[in-house]
Amino acid sequence: MEDPPVKNGMIDALPIVLGYLPVGIAFGLLARQAGLTPMEIGLMSLLVYAGASQFIAVEMILKGIQWAPIIITTFLINLRHLLMSSTLSLFFTRHRPWILILLSTQLTDESFAMAMSNPAKIENRPRYLFGLQGTSHLAWITGSVLGAFFGRLIHPQSYGIPFALPALFICLLMLQVHNLLHLSLIGMAGVLSLLFKSFLPGNWYIVLTALITSGLGVMMEKKMGPSREGLKGGIGRD
Amino acid sequence: MRLNIFFLILGMGIVTFLTRISPMVVLTRWALPEKIKRGLEYIPLSILSSIVFPLFFFNGEGEIEIQLHPLLSSFPVFLFAWKVKSLWGSVLLGMLIYWGLGLIF
Repeated sequence: MEDPPVKNGMIDALPIVLGYLPVGIAFGLLARQAGLTPMEIGLMSLLVYAGASQFIAVEMILKGIQWAPIIITTFLINLRHLLMSSTLSLFFTRHRPWILILLSTQLTDESFAMAMSNPAKIENRPRYLFGLQGTSHLAWITGSVLGAFFGRLIHPQSYGIPFALPALFICLLMLQVHNLLHLSLIGMAGVLSLLFKSFLPGNWYIVLTALITSGLGVMMEKKMGPSREGLKGGIGRD
Repeated sequence: MRLNIFFLILGMGIVTFLTRISPMVVLTRWALPEKIKRGLEYIPLSILSSIVFPLFFFNGEGEIEIQLHPLLSSFPVFLFAWKVKSLWGSVLLGMLIYWGLGLIF
């Protein structure tokens, strides 16, 4: 079948654009409050293009620029791309590797979900996917830069702004909860992070907690078994 | 642009790029071990927990000290986020409560 033009992908990206613009603006605002310049903010959205890890980086930069923990945390939180990316590669068997690499650089949770909602649409149609992902990426960059410019107008200590990032993290965290195992892991990660933070320097407690808790998760899912399918007995995600 | 921030962003970009492309380069010949695959699912949740909870019990200097306003503001946000699952809603609610608490005491 014909590869539909880039335009079709761009049109299908509109729901994602509506989601990315406001979250991008929020990112730009908060990153500006943390002392980043609009250019640095735009560059991060261009090169990293991964929402959760960008917010987390801002939070960590606030506590002091410490290279290794920030980069390791970014790597860990984005490791989930591995699964999406390997799934995506199955749909482009007839294309050269560089096309796959190009498409993979703009892979996100949302564009992946959109693409997978109708796999027939993307199978061996790189131009369509490029339109979808490129438009989403552009919305993310645009939102971030807009937020960065607005960010200058707001005083960082006013109107509850210090609690904006924590509230965002709480919401991102609750979006991850699908069953009892997840809830127990949150409790354990909470305790471990408090413990590690009390004696480890900088942001290392985040890296250590993440590695140990994920390991515990793998061990515990054997015992808790069925809970993995969710409290409502829904279909597992793999 | 500050050079240290530039290199930090570049480093973040490179490692994120690696997580996005590596399956294409590697996984066609080497399947990801099942245990690692499972573990990946829990990483975001672990990282977010380890960022959130210390915010309530450590001050800006990293000393142990209960942070009353963030702690109190967090309860309704946990509940709201769990029920409504809205990013902007959670952020605005959290800011409103935190701001309100600052006006009261």
